[in-house]
Amino acid sequence: MPQLRFWIFLILMPQACPGGSIIVADDVRDVGELKPPVTFEKDIAPIFRTRCLSCHEGESRKADLELASQQRVLAGGESGAVIVPGRPDESLLYQRIKSGEMPPEGKDLLGEVEQELIYRWIAEIGNVPADATIDPLLNPSQHDVVPIMLRHCTPCHGRHRQEAGLDLRNRAAMLKGGRSGPAVVPGDTDASLILQKIHAGQMPPLERLVEASVKPVDPAETAILVKWIKLGAQEIVIEPDVATSTPDPLVSDHDREFWAFRAPIKATVPVVQNADRVRNPIDAFVLEKLEQQPLSLAPEADRRTLIRRASFDLTGLPPDPLEIEAFLSDADPDAYEKLIDRLLDSPGYGERWGRYWLDLAGYSDSEGKREQDLPRPHAWRYRDYVIRSFNTDKPYSRFLLEQIAGDELADYDHAAEVTTHMSDNLVATGFLRMVPDPTWANITGYIPDRIDVIADELDVFGSGVLGLTLKCARCHSHKFDPIPQRDYYRIVDVFKGAYDEYNWLRPEIHPGIGPVSQDVAGGRILTAVSTAERKTWEENNARIAREVTAAQQTPEPEAQIKALEAQRQPEPQIQALWDRGDPSLTYIYRRGDPMSPGRLVGPGVPSVLTDGKTPFHVEPPWPGAASTGRRLALARWLTQPDHPLTSRVAVNRIWKHHFGRGIVQTLGNFGKAGIPPTHPELLDWLAVEFVEHGWSFKSMHRLMMTSATYRQSSALTPEQESADPENVLISRMPFVRLDAESLYDSLLLVAGRLDPTRFGPGDQVIARPDGLVTPQGTALGWRRMIYVQQQRKRIPTHLESFDYPQMNPNCIERRHSVVSPQALYLMNNGMIFELAESFAARIRKEVGSDPEMQIRRISLNAFGRLPDDEEQNIAREALTQLEAKWTLHPTSTGSADPEVARQKALTAYCHAIMNSAEFLYID
Amino acid sequence: MRPQQNGNQKHSTLQSLTRRGLFHRVSGGIYGAASAQLMGGDYALNSRSAEARSPDSQSSGKVWTDLRQRAPHFEPKAKAVIHLFMTGGPSQMDLFDPKPMLDLHHGESYFDRIAGEVENPQSAGALMRSPFRFAQHGQCGMWVSDALPHIAGQVDDIALIRSMHTTNLTHEPAVYLIQSGKMGPGRPTVGAWVVYGLGSESQNLPAYVVLDDPNGLPVNGVENWEAGFLPPIFQGTRFRATGSPVLNLQPDVERPDDLIAEERALLSRLDQIHRRRHPGQAVLDARIASYELAGQMQLSASDALDIASETQDTQEMYGIGTEPTNSYGRRCLIARRLVERGVRFIQLYVNGNSWDHHTGLFADLKGCCDRTDKPIAGLLKDLKQRGLLDSTLIVWGGEFGRLPIAQLPPDKDERKAGRDHNKNAFCTWMAGAGIKAGTTYGATDEIGLHSVEDRVSIQDWHATILHLLGLSHEQLFVMDNGLKEKLTGVLEASIVQGILA
Repeated sequence: MPQLRFWIFLILMPQACPGGSIIVADDVRDVGELKPPVTFEKDIAPIFRTRCLSCHEGESRKADLELASQQRVLAGGESGAVIVPGRPDESLLYQRIKSGEMPPEGKDLLGEVEQELIYRWIAEIGNVPADATIDPLLNPSQHDVVPIMLRHCTPCHGRHRQEAGLDLRNRAAMLKGGRSGPAVVPGDTDASLILQKIHAGQMPPLERLVEASVKPVDPAETAILVKWIKLGAQEIVIEPDVATSTPDPLVSDHDREFWAFRAPIKATVPVVQNADRVRNPIDAFVLEKLEQQPLSLAPEADRRTLIRRASFDLTGLPPDPLEIEAFLSDADPDAYEKLIDRLLDSPGYGERWGRYWLDLAGYSDSEGKREQDLPRPHAWRYRDYVIRSFNTDKPYSRFLLEQIAGDELADYDHAAEVTTHMSDNLVATGFLRMVPDPTWANITGYIPDRIDVIADELDVFGSGVLGLTLKCARCHSHKFDPIPQRDYYRIVDVFKGAYDEYNWLRPEIHPGIGPVSQDVAGGRILTAVSTAERKTWEENNARIAREVTAAQQTPEPEAQIKALEAQRQPEPQIQALWDRGDPSLTYIYRRGDPMSPGRLVGPGVPSVLTDGKTPFHVEPPWPGAASTGRRLALARWLTQPDHPLTSRVAVNRIWKHHFGRGIVQTLGNFGKAGIPPTHPELLDWLAVEFVEHGWSFKSMHRLMMTSATYRQSSALTPEQESADPENVLISRMPFVRLDAESLYDSLLLVAGRLDPTRFGPGDQVIARPDGLVTPQGTALGWRRMIYVQQQRKRIPTHLESFDYPQMNPNCIERRHSVVSPQALYLMNNGMIFELAESFAARIRKEVGSDPEMQIRRISLNAFGRLPDDEEQNIAREALTQLEAKWTLHPTSTGSADPEVARQKALTAYCHAIMNSAEFLYID
Repeated sequence: MRPQQNGNQKHSTLQSLTRRGLFHRVSGGIYGAASAQLMGGDYALNSRSAEARSPDSQSSGKVWTDLRQRAPHFEPKAKAVIHLFMTGGPSQMDLFDPKPMLDLHHGESYFDRIAGEVENPQSAGALMRSPFRFAQHGQCGMWVSDALPHIAGQVDDIALIRSMHTTNLTHEPAVYLIQSGKMGPGRPTVGAWVVYGLGSESQNLPAYVVLDDPNGLPVNGVENWEAGFLPPIFQGTRFRATGSPVLNLQPDVERPDDLIAEERALLSRLDQIHRRRHPGQAVLDARIASYELAGQMQLSASDALDIASETQDTQEMYGIGTEPTNSYGRRCLIARRLVERGVRFIQLYVNGNSWDHHTGLFADLKGCCDRTDKPIAGLLKDLKQRGLLDSTLIVWGGEFGRLPIAQLPPDKDERKAGRDHNKNAFCTWMAGAGIKAGTTYGATDEIGLHSVEDRVSIQDWHATILHLLGLSHEQLFVMDNGLKEKLTGVLEASIVQGILA
């Protein structure tokens, strides 16, 4: 190659070429053979020693890359190989140096001479016979070979099936072989059946690749296998990399000093000037910052505003006129506190706050990612579990424990009776089954597809629970936070007992969708519903069977039998996640690529959130359990009272939903690239308070909502606008738009069409050919939106219009857009119009035909207040006009009856009210 | 990022604000109906992408939340794009990439060498020649099969890329990839990025319009035009070619016009009172503007779709009024009308996996061609004669290509053979603004299995489209937790210079 380029150079020479100097430079390299060869020891090691080794040597090496010897450099790091022998321009090491990315910011870059030497060194490595120096797999062990078996062979020769009696999961089993003899004969490549089969192209069988979701063996993999067998199929013991009692070389105590990685401590409540405004410590923390501006808290909002705000905040619904009346006339000094308590006790509370959690979990009633959008018929149980957990004020620590390790809390498999409690624990693990998942289909069920699913779940866990962008460490160490790639894979190993890409449970395939897979380790469904529920179901079946038998005795049984059969209920089942024991080993995937396994790691948590010298303690959840107990250990670690993030992340999210923005604005990122807290002392004070009050959500709501800060008016003053334009200091309450669900539920409620039935399978949706998707009604109207099916490809138009998020994989914070499709939807949609008719009919029924009364009542229902004179006049005038116009259109009304025109006018008025800004916004 | 253009501010309270102040207001939710006459009346507050994703909001990552026009990074060639998306994977060796070696080796077994790349191994057959006949066309002599006689007549306007390759051979992930740069949902599509980068020229039509097939949505449905982590105003708006063009554009329940007007007037008065009582809450102006815009859209959208006003000759050129071209022809003509009205990015879809010819290659591929060939040629001719081709980029292609071996139906009847998916080679073409017309770029191996010469990745293809619009794929990004989120992601991309004029 160098010669060839040299000749090209000669040919080009006579032409006057502006790039000539570059060509000359190239030429210097190409004819460099005339110079003495570059050697690592003589030329390169001194450069690396002075410029690189402070980060890339020994235990604490960055990016798992060591530059101390040629062998080490060639072994590569997290990003895989950094040298492509003979091809400097394609070598990551040279690229990083040339682009100035390395050495990193703050350090001097390498000079031209040094860069040139490195370039030549890489170019010349290619001249050295390959496997003498560069092959990191000089002497492979079972750790190099077993991953190859997992990738290509174990679906048919492994845990769940041993075709031809063969198991290839470990060395002993390979030596033992199957019915045709040993698969591997150490030292004898010819006698090793596995090689014969691979060389002959018989294994894995080509025509079955797709049904087993495996790829053919790559020549490079075969080469490793050959070498391993040739050299005696050695087995070596490598201890997985886990936290030990010696300090962690990769994460320093300095790293642990960042505020979010230290346990929160309750600061002293500050003393403020406007002490008379302080109702509880929240106000003192808020006032302290405001008074620096100087600002103070805004005046308290009036009672009508407060009850509307609090009702929407806690239940997602507007207050009833009678409730408003009672609150306004309550002379008790604790009237407001009583209101908050009443709202917290309302069943609507769990429906409102559960929905926030479902966003975080990425709740969906379908798998997504494929055209078929496979339904998840049992997901609703998890939705109900979440709603009930909020309504019973389940401690957040317990809530997390159940969702992360519910399967490891009780031995449901061997229990004489499955209690509701046990069953709920399993339903709770549905939290970890919510991300988009195409792996039910063979063609999208390959190892990388499965790893994507696991990565999405870890993203949900990281962003939602931990408040860290864990996902960034999947392919390389985190760029901003001290999270080495190793820590990501330690967490992967925690989940391995349940989420094992080499022992995969596929989503349940329904008849008619997709072929049956060869790789079936079973579905994701457990039948361990409570014994009581199962009994009810069985009794129902038995009763139907009895009655069918009886019906058969009658002369015309068909209709009766059909009616009886229709009463059958589907078998109660749970979509769950559970540890199945004996997980495969976890290797760091360099660049996130399963074809590039690196170091072996064991279970653990991010080192920066520990003291770095305490082993991660894992034990089986009960004696004799198959389950590894790893997620239980994770959950217990997560819910320690002094965990640096768990409580902070939770209270910050509660705060956000009450005050419009988080104290840490980046709800899912408390790391260094997140936005620092606006009120750090308040955040920590709340976090500790939360834990001290038993991780109770409701006590946090009570605390926040009874503060003077929460009771502020939302009216904006010029002073606030200039001193606190973004309301960072909470100088007022935010003026907010209803979210999609609150708007929908409120429309139903005021129209008198809200079916209050709770829980159970989600209501179907109807998809019109033009794309309009509408929830299917019930006999009583429609249920709250949370009880409507949320299939990824059939999201109700109402939700889509008002910023319902795509769960990819989850939603940490919703948007609140104002776009014209919302206006088109509210103005023109048929269901909205039907609700306006219902609203008008209800008003007519409740207050009669007097327009004055009607106008007052409509305002009370829709806005929680009475109209003033101006509004009353406008409304009266509009009603008169509308009625007059309708009277002129008897063909449109289909009737000349003035009463019909009057009611049509009232409907139009109600429709306008439902479209109005005041309906949509909360003060 | 580039400074935001500060045009079209009418609202007095905004006059005194500094540019930075404006940014803060936009993000904080106090934003007048500064651009009430623009789609900029649409407004996004508190979007996940806008603020939460941008730790470094002062210097770089502020996310635009409006559609006002923005200067490109450099002088653009194209002002608008019409993307003719051919979902399913059109067969390259039956349309644009003749392979004489397949004629030579027709019937020879090849499966063993490509087993890992075959989606349906149980039905794999031998190497299969094309049932179509190829010839050279135009001044440039581009090879096109007789399945596309009309496009063959326009090859001197086209630059053909024969060396495309992608990374997944399943429809859904491959479609996600070519639409958004990543193999999964949740990312902004090309159209969303373009509109994000350039804003809208039109004041009463959406900037990104989707003309989907009345027979059904393409694979991945509405996810094909999503805005992902960008604010929702950048997502595509579906226009239907018949009836009411936009969802909810016309009332579901019919009422006399004067009554609707009366109700609107009432609503307007109520909202004005509410607005008056909430000084400083400029989001309310945006909301009022969104209602006004909704009204304008009713008129403009209907006008854009009114193809009856076109001459008979024009309609005939698109194949309107005759089958099987009527449906696609209508949409092609509407696309031209939308370009004339300043719409930035238009996508035409076919339903489902139309081009997915696992079996019945001859009849079914021909059917797809027959439905689209004449309308597309008509569109090219019409744009050219109106002088619009100089400023409009036409992009044609699917998500991957097809294999040189046959795929057989269950009864193994070779006459009904088709081809399975191929991620390693496929063809796309571009025409119009900035394109070196008459070019054939790149090459596949002798049987069309792999692209081998001047290979073009999806990232390269994306970067090239952006480039033609004056956008740099490196500079068009939003910040997410310290990461620059771009259409081309973290992968290297190079502009396909060989097809540029």
